[in-house]
Amino acid sequence: MSGLDPRVTGEQAYAVDVTRPRMLHAAFVRSPYAHARVTGVDASALPPDCVALLPEDVAGLGRYGCQARDQRVLTDVARHAGDIVAAVAAPTRRAAQSAARRVSVDYRELPAVFDAVAAVAPGAPLLHADTAESAKEEVSIGVRPLPGTNVCHRFRLVSGDAARAMAEADVVVSEAFRTPSAAHVPMEPHAAVAEWDDGRLTLWTGTQTPFNMRADLAGLFAMAPEDIRIVVPMMGGSFGAKTFVRTEAVLAALARKAGRPVKAVLDRTEEFLTLNRHPATMRVRLGATRDGTLVAKELDCWVDTGAYADCGPGVATKLGYAGVGPYRIPHVRVDSLAIYTNLPPNGAYRGYGAMQSIFASERTMDVLAARLGMSPLELRRRNLLRDGDRFATGEVMHDVHFEECLQAAADAVGYEDDPRGKGLCVLLKGMQTPSRAQVSVERTPVGFVVRSASTEMGQGVKRSIQLMAAQLLGCEPGQVVIPDPDTAVTPFDTRTTSSRSTHMMGRALEVAVADLGDGDHGFGEVVEEGGLDPDTGQGIASSHWHQGAAGAHVSVDEETGKLTVEHLHGVAYAGKVVNRPGAALQNDGSMLMGLGTALFEAIEFGDGQVANANLSDYNVPAPGDVPARFTHEIIEREGAEVHGLGETVLPPVPAAIGNALASLGLDVRELPFTAERVLGAVDAR
Amino acid sequence: MSVTVILNGRLTVLDCAPATMLLDALRDGEGLTSVRATCGIGVCGACTVLLDGEPVTSCLTMAGQAEGRAITTLEGLGGSDPVQRAFAAEHAFQCGWCTPGFVLTVKRLLEENPDPGEEEIAEALGGNLCRCGSYVNIAAAVRRAAKELRA
Repeated sequence: MSGLDPRVTGEQAYAVDVTRPRMLHAAFVRSPYAHARVTGVDASALPPDCVALLPEDVAGLGRYGCQARDQRVLTDVARHAGDIVAAVAAPTRRAAQSAARRVSVDYRELPAVFDAVAAVAPGAPLLHADTAESAKEEVSIGVRPLPGTNVCHRFRLVSGDAARAMAEADVVVSEAFRTPSAAHVPMEPHAAVAEWDDGRLTLWTGTQTPFNMRADLAGLFAMAPEDIRIVVPMMGGSFGAKTFVRTEAVLAALARKAGRPVKAVLDRTEEFLTLNRHPATMRVRLGATRDGTLVAKELDCWVDTGAYADCGPGVATKLGYAGVGPYRIPHVRVDSLAIYTNLPPNGAYRGYGAMQSIFASERTMDVLAARLGMSPLELRRRNLLRDGDRFATGEVMHDVHFEECLQAAADAVGYEDDPRGKGLCVLLKGMQTPSRAQVSVERTPVGFVVRSASTEMGQGVKRSIQLMAAQLLGCEPGQVVIPDPDTAVTPFDTRTTSSRSTHMMGRALEVAVADLGDGDHGFGEVVEEGGLDPDTGQGIASSHWHQGAAGAHVSVDEETGKLTVEHLHGVAYAGKVVNRPGAALQNDGSMLMGLGTALFEAIEFGDGQVANANLSDYNVPAPGDVPARFTHEIIEREGAEVHGLGETVLPPVPAAIGNALASLGLDVRELPFTAERVLGAVDAR
Repeated sequence: MSVTVILNGRLTVLDCAPATMLLDALRDGEGLTSVRATCGIGVCGACTVLLDGEPVTSCLTMAGQAEGRAITTLEGLGGSDPVQRAFAAEHAFQCGWCTPGFVLTVKRLLEENPDPGEEEIAEALGGNLCRCGSYVNIAAAVRRAAKELRA
């Protein structure tokens, strides 16, 4: 043993490495149709050593879903190409895949809709006859479906009288933008093992949401939550893909029927059918006085959540309020719809909707600046939120650093020297609120065991907790052991999302270490109350704010449309950094994911079928895609609390690059900025 | 049916058909879990192994193609190779899934080119993807390992 990190020696185990005695392997029978009623399933051709999970096996089970209970273990109506209609367990994965192909399914095709704006037009095919809000307090946001439509949630924010103020504004711009679906592409696919023992279920699975999953499965299987145990090994990346119930419900049902443990590992194509990023269409109206003071903003969003709601209501909410931007605007109206379509489900994706509306909102700022004949930097400066200002949600802002972030981005790319080919973006985004984090500390003869349900997916949360605990306990980091989350023994945490873990767990640890004193056990809890009223957008969006900016410098070959990012600079406000190398890595990763989003990442659909469901046709940034100058900075302040930064510098990247293009007169309203779109903008100029 | 190879320095009989993918033979047959199925089409590099010292994607290589040849997986480096130490020192990973493929590719790069420039590093690593986006630190690890190996 070398003592090196197990990730470097190859010894690191992931969910994909979990094996259990007598374990079988699962494969799923998926609908080839985007919308079709299942009229018959025939598994009579299966070999005798295979077990099939069929509709009659799950008829007694209810529905599940983290924010709207709209999913069944096996669907009787396929609502997207790839929807699971049956499952098979066999001694090997290959045998299971072969057996799945021998299950014969009859379908009756139904009319389908693949665009969120079309899905709310009169006469559009309806995906769900009714939607029931989920009851779990940890996830529920007060879902507002519009009955008889494909809208599973409507989020509205109303502050002042935007319509009247807009009518009275000196200058009004009205702009529309689109962002496509994108794939998370965690290198490790979704992987899980389900095992039943005397009516109790254990799942080893890569998930960011062990307690949410336990609650949802308990409802589905009508079990006590304590009879379900979720164990979470390290994930080989997630970025939001491994949130809430993915294959775990059908896998658990299959394992129960098989009477043996069953493992499911998705192949790369299936990843594109499982959970993607919400496509969004956004219309922004922005009104200002002639001197560049913002007076009114209206934001209408059509957010495509695909075949099932998943956390789409939450995404539409965050997309809605983040799209207001970090500005003082007295009159604001936001209307953000989470809409069902016959695409694969869309869910949490690093930034949780913020990228989409920040792209629209911050591109519009530059359009307004051009109309006013003002510098985009000066227009932003003039309107940025400052300490003590009131945000559109009614929250009074504190620990505000938007201007420093923006200025740092501008300085890095030399914006004030020469703004040509350069673009800026500044953003506000929030943390999951309400939120609750618990942690326990146990003294051992050689150190301490810290139990936290913060899941590790490469973001470095274990290292951060280890460093914070060591400092509080006055020991070496190596004396702090943090076992993998296991709901049987690990205290509750809302979930590992929205850049909240270091912020929440750090404070819970302080309480736990104080509670430990000279004893053997300590327990700490931090609770943040809040949430927004879905009908008014008033309340507490976030207990602390993620603040950041990006600056981009680009060049364009106007013959070919090739866009080159010469310099990309990200800025995140961290308050206080806990793990410096980890923070730098999170910024690098966020910026690079933002770069892929800006330049080339998009899932292409044809009649609801994913046309590029592999890593040859769907490109993610490779080593050669890193810009020649690729820099970032982290702003800290003496005495400030820890601010999350796992996502902050992803959302501003596409807008900064888009504004850099706009500074050259190239106006592209849809992501990604492909050569075709850039050439189109050259022609249109 | 079987395939005989020198696996991480040991004469080994892989108990599989020659048409079995090397990835499956190593991972499922030999329990070498640093070899990771990821894209399945040879573009991401996470299943990289060295075949007679050359990086190959084991998801596209049949076990029979390795007959009589030397295979090195990350486990075969012994845990404290200069390239591994450099990756650790430069924090050149986040989730760590892609790290074995990168380390093996870098190992071969530095045998061929002891002092690669930035563009040569990016080109040599063009067949390896890190979705966590740790490329800046990976390049630093390559430079550090190169320096140590030249010393």
